[in-house]
Amino acid sequence: MSDQPTDTDQSNDAREDQSTGHETATDTDTDTSGPGPILVPVRVLEGQSVEPGVATLLSRARVLLLGYHEVPDQTPPGQARFQFEDRATERLADVAGELEVAGATVETRLVFTHNREQSLNRVAEETGCVGTVIPNPAMRLEDVLVPLRSERSLERVAGLTGDLLAGLDVGVTLYRLEREDEETSGRVLERARELLEARGVDPDLIETRVDTSLTPVRTIVNTASEYDAVVMGESDPSVTTFVFGETAAEVAERFHGPVLVVRRQSHDERPDEPTYAVDRETLSETDGLGS
Amino acid sequence: MGDRSTDGETASTEPTNVEGDRPIIEETTATEAATVHEEGTELERTIGLVGGLSIGVGTMIGAGIFVFPGLAAGEAGPAAMGSFAIGAVIALLVALPASELATAMPRSGGGYYFISRGLGTVYGTIVGLGLWLGLVFASAFYLVGFGHYAAAVLLEVGISVPFNPAAPLGVLFGVGLAVLSVTGTERTAAIQNVVVALLLGILTLFLVYGGLDSVGVFGTESTPERFAPFGWLPVLQTAALVFTSYLGFAQVATVAGEIKQPSRNLPLAMVGSVVLVGAFYVATIFVATSAFPSAELGTFGETAIVEVARAYAGPLGAVAILLAGLLATISSANASILSSSRAVYALSKDALLPREASAVNLRWGTPHVALGLAGVPIVVLTATDAVVLLAEVASFLHLVMYGLICVALIALRRNPPDWYDPDFRTPAYPALPAAGALASFGLIAFMDLASIVVGVGVIAVTFAWYLYYTDDVELKGKL
Repeated sequence: MSDQPTDTDQSNDAREDQSTGHETATDTDTDTSGPGPILVPVRVLEGQSVEPGVATLLSRARVLLLGYHEVPDQTPPGQARFQFEDRATERLADVAGELEVAGATVETRLVFTHNREQSLNRVAEETGCVGTVIPNPAMRLEDVLVPLRSERSLERVAGLTGDLLAGLDVGVTLYRLEREDEETSGRVLERARELLEARGVDPDLIETRVDTSLTPVRTIVNTASEYDAVVMGESDPSVTTFVFGETAAEVAERFHGPVLVVRRQSHDERPDEPTYAVDRETLSETDGLGS
Repeated sequence: MGDRSTDGETASTEPTNVEGDRPIIEETTATEAATVHEEGTELERTIGLVGGLSIGVGTMIGAGIFVFPGLAAGEAGPAAMGSFAIGAVIALLVALPASELATAMPRSGGGYYFISRGLGTVYGTIVGLGLWLGLVFASAFYLVGFGHYAAAVLLEVGISVPFNPAAPLGVLFGVGLAVLSVTGTERTAAIQNVVVALLLGILTLFLVYGGLDSVGVFGTESTPERFAPFGWLPVLQTAALVFTSYLGFAQVATVAGEIKQPSRNLPLAMVGSVVLVGAFYVATIFVATSAFPSAELGTFGETAIVEVARAYAGPLGAVAILLAGLLATISSANASILSSSRAVYALSKDALLPREASAVNLRWGTPHVALGLAGVPIVVLTATDAVVLLAEVASFLHLVMYGLICVALIALRRNPPDWYDPDFRTPAYPALPAAGALASFGLIAFMDLASIVVGVGVIAVTFAWYLYYTDDVELKGKL
């Protein structure tokens, strides 16, 4: 700010501080400022908020809080912005404040769009988000269910879970659906436990659980109802839906609490390996690493 | 709401309109995927090339194929093909300059935006209000067309009413569309894409079959007829009439702010949609005039193409074309209502109409005032059932805008503001935009006197509004 700030300068600066701190967008070093960035989309004008359970889940994270307002095709997004921007910015700042009080580092963005999914995908891609939280209501966070599906996504899912929950009094249940391969299940769960402990999660708070099921989505949703939140890896590798994989999206839709979907790594990182797909049928299988 | 800190310190000296509002001119950065405002708010670009083409084609194809063939052939004979070709050439002469301006200014508002920035407030006001009202006339015209199709459907299924149901049906659907546009939150763009694809499919089948038939590949050989049985003047007059069939490409520019990769998709969508519908129109006239002598076609009126389909493919063909006609006219009317409401928004944002006109309700998220300002006059005009007058006044108001788009391009090229950096450059400058301007203004001369009088009257009213309302608002050169 200059020595003799004018009114305009002040209001512009204030607005900028609220809406776009640029500090985290290019910072990929997770050790110094917490795990993230984690995308948290909120329907900002429809009163969607983050409840205490979500705030706890994100208390150690760098959060990219994306306020969005979806308008029908007959309304230019600019026209909606023209009328609602001030209200949206204010609401978004409130939500950001709640997350910050819990301990998170928050950057906010505000978008007016015809297509929510497109906007979320773009922002997630631009900022290199490691995961997305669908902020369904949760009054508290006492235990989290972590369905594990493959050895490849294991490192990221368990790693991020550990980073987020280390030092918190939150139980973690590592969950595995299997069909025949008990050996793989044991190995996956063991590795996940190691990762969590390495990141600083209290070993007493870690449990493991194994079920068999032919309808994984339903089973996960049923099991999840005993827990406050779900963390799971993204499954569907299609370009258009890389924020929510298919299975994860279904769980998020049916589960009433918050869901953290851990993003796949970007496509260019492993260009030579076959695309990894988990659908409902192969959910409990490993992706060929063991065979 | 109207008072924004982004107006900066120049705010106090900035000229205002009669209500004391000033234009909202904001610093934005246009990226391929979004428009980012100075304070960080982003506006997503969600319309791709297919969506853009679908807006252009969907707006245009309803009129050229489903309303005009009978009227045009009745006036010009098979040479009505030439009328449609002339229309396509003029549209292209304007679409190229409009593409350049749209890539330089990928903002919502289309032709109004280019002209107000290139030529200043007075032309901007006339064109902006002209665009709104031009689209109102065009929508009313499409709805009248729709009414005739709906009446033909009633006739086909054997329901007879003691009066001509065309106009009442048009009015009824006009009201329905206006209400839906305010309260509906379905994915209208996706529906529009499907409708346009379906239409193009039906038409391609019909035209290929009819075309092969009429050149004698199979079936009966067609009636030879003199190409221009009524002489060449009617060809030009018909070109002026049917130019309403080419009003859609500029509607692509009214959503320029929402188009993804605007530098690529805007020119492709505008030029592409003109070329595509132009080809369909010429082929339609060829097939139609091969099936019937043009005088007979003229007596079929608005739904002549149904009789053509019946001649080639029997009752099934007639029903298919009737349904296609209903879809096409309603999609044209719908697209025009939406464009018209965007024109109102652009004017309101620039303080050329009251701020309230751009209000958005939170319940449906729709701009109900702007949609009402489009919907109500549309319904009133539809009730007149005056096909030719509505079409020509719509064309008149658009042609004024098209001519001025070309002039604005020349003005901006001669004296470019520092922000003027289009990704697409019009070829053959300055000859091409000059020809576009001359052709646009020239075509007006071939319209019916009544249409010219009404058109001039509308322009006079918009000029009066400029004198009364806009006061000393200055828009020239302001991005």
